[in-house]
Amino acid sequence: MKEKYDTELMRLVNEKHGHALEELYNRYIKLIYSFVMKFCNGNEEKTKEIIQLVFLRLWTTNSHYDPSQGSFVNWLLTITRNICIDYLRKEKRKTQHHQEEHEEIADPANVIEQRVNTNDITKAKNKLPTAQRKLIDLLYWKGYSLSEIAKLEQEPLGTIKSRLHQALKGLRKHLELEDIK
Amino acid sequence: MRRDCDHLIPYIANELKECERMAFVEHLKNCTECKKEYQELSQAWHALPFDYTEIEVPESLKGEVLGFVFDHKGKSGTETFMAKMSKLAIMLKSQFTPVSISIVAVLLLAIIGLGIANVQEKNHHAENIPIEILTAIPLKAANQSHPGTNGMAYIVQQESEKNLVVQVHELPGVEGSQVYQVWLLKNGTRENGGIFKPDENGSGILTYQLAEGQTFDQIGITVEPDADSIQPRGEKIAGS
Repeated sequence: MKEKYDTELMRLVNEKHGHALEELYNRYIKLIYSFVMKFCNGNEEKTKEIIQLVFLRLWTTNSHYDPSQGSFVNWLLTITRNICIDYLRKEKRKTQHHQEEHEEIADPANVIEQRVNTNDITKAKNKLPTAQRKLIDLLYWKGYSLSEIAKLEQEPLGTIKSRLHQALKGLRKHLELEDIK
Repeated sequence: MRRDCDHLIPYIANELKECERMAFVEHLKNCTECKKEYQELSQAWHALPFDYTEIEVPESLKGEVLGFVFDHKGKSGTETFMAKMSKLAIMLKSQFTPVSISIVAVLLLAIIGLGIANVQEKNHHAENIPIEILTAIPLKAANQSHPGTNGMAYIVQQESEKNLVVQVHELPGVEGSQVYQVWLLKNGTRENGGIFKPDENGSGILTYQLAEGQTFDQIGITVEPDADSIQPRGEKIAGS
């Protein structure tokens, strides 16, 4: 029922109903805000700019949500993450002239994560071997591509790919165990 | 694992090029092993974003975000309008040859030219200043030998300009240098009001521009031996 409502909201947004966009904001801002804050390492200014771009994308481009391709939240977060990655890559390109590429790679743990976090995925992630956890942080939260990570870690691309494979498998296993508990 | 199956991980991480992605989507439909793996792994992948701590959203953010988006509205509206126009231009270009473009252009210019001429003519008419008839003075015969002579004199005004229009019928014919002359009587003095010659039917018409402030009490028309009379020398034929 909730999915149906989201689909309808998105249809109204495509038809340029401002109140539908506002409703989407009310529903998902907490999720999006927390997500982007983590992506931006707690930088409020960047977070604001990215969220503006997310809602602009929803409003101006005809991004159509197709319910057969997965849940609305996944779709929304995929868009949000893509915008985060674009934003951070552009920023990286700008700062690259000033400093070396290797910044704080060794410890991708960030401010937001250090707060108490008790949800399932966090618990599951914490059970992963350090290398896998680091890979997920670099790939998912820092927006590095698989080949960039291979270069950084000085390992073959194939190794990185199979590490991600293992990491996702491990996460799923731990998530299932959490469910059972 | 086949080479195609190798794309599973980059596919989940959304790192395939569009053509590779399409190819892999096709592959997914047929490869049961990948399908099963994908279902499991993507579930974990989509759980990743929930690895965050909920943070209180600042109150001011809503206005900043929605304001930003809706302010963008007009701009993107014109952009899409411009995009539509350029699309239309491209479409039209592909429809016409250079010859047909020049023919259409000439026709268009002609239509525009005629349109402008038409409008200007209308304006011209509109700008015409109306003529107002201030006074109409009937003229009657003054000579018993030609009792049928009759006519009208009008004082007409167009803007600040006043004209005397005299129209007389059934005038006796004139000979040689003879002319009819109009006299304007004011306080017993006669002033020249213009000369005219009647046509073969005995009708004559004259317009005479009155000086500013010029008035008169009566009109007299005489037949003069020539066009040089300062005072009437001939017979009065008609008058008011």
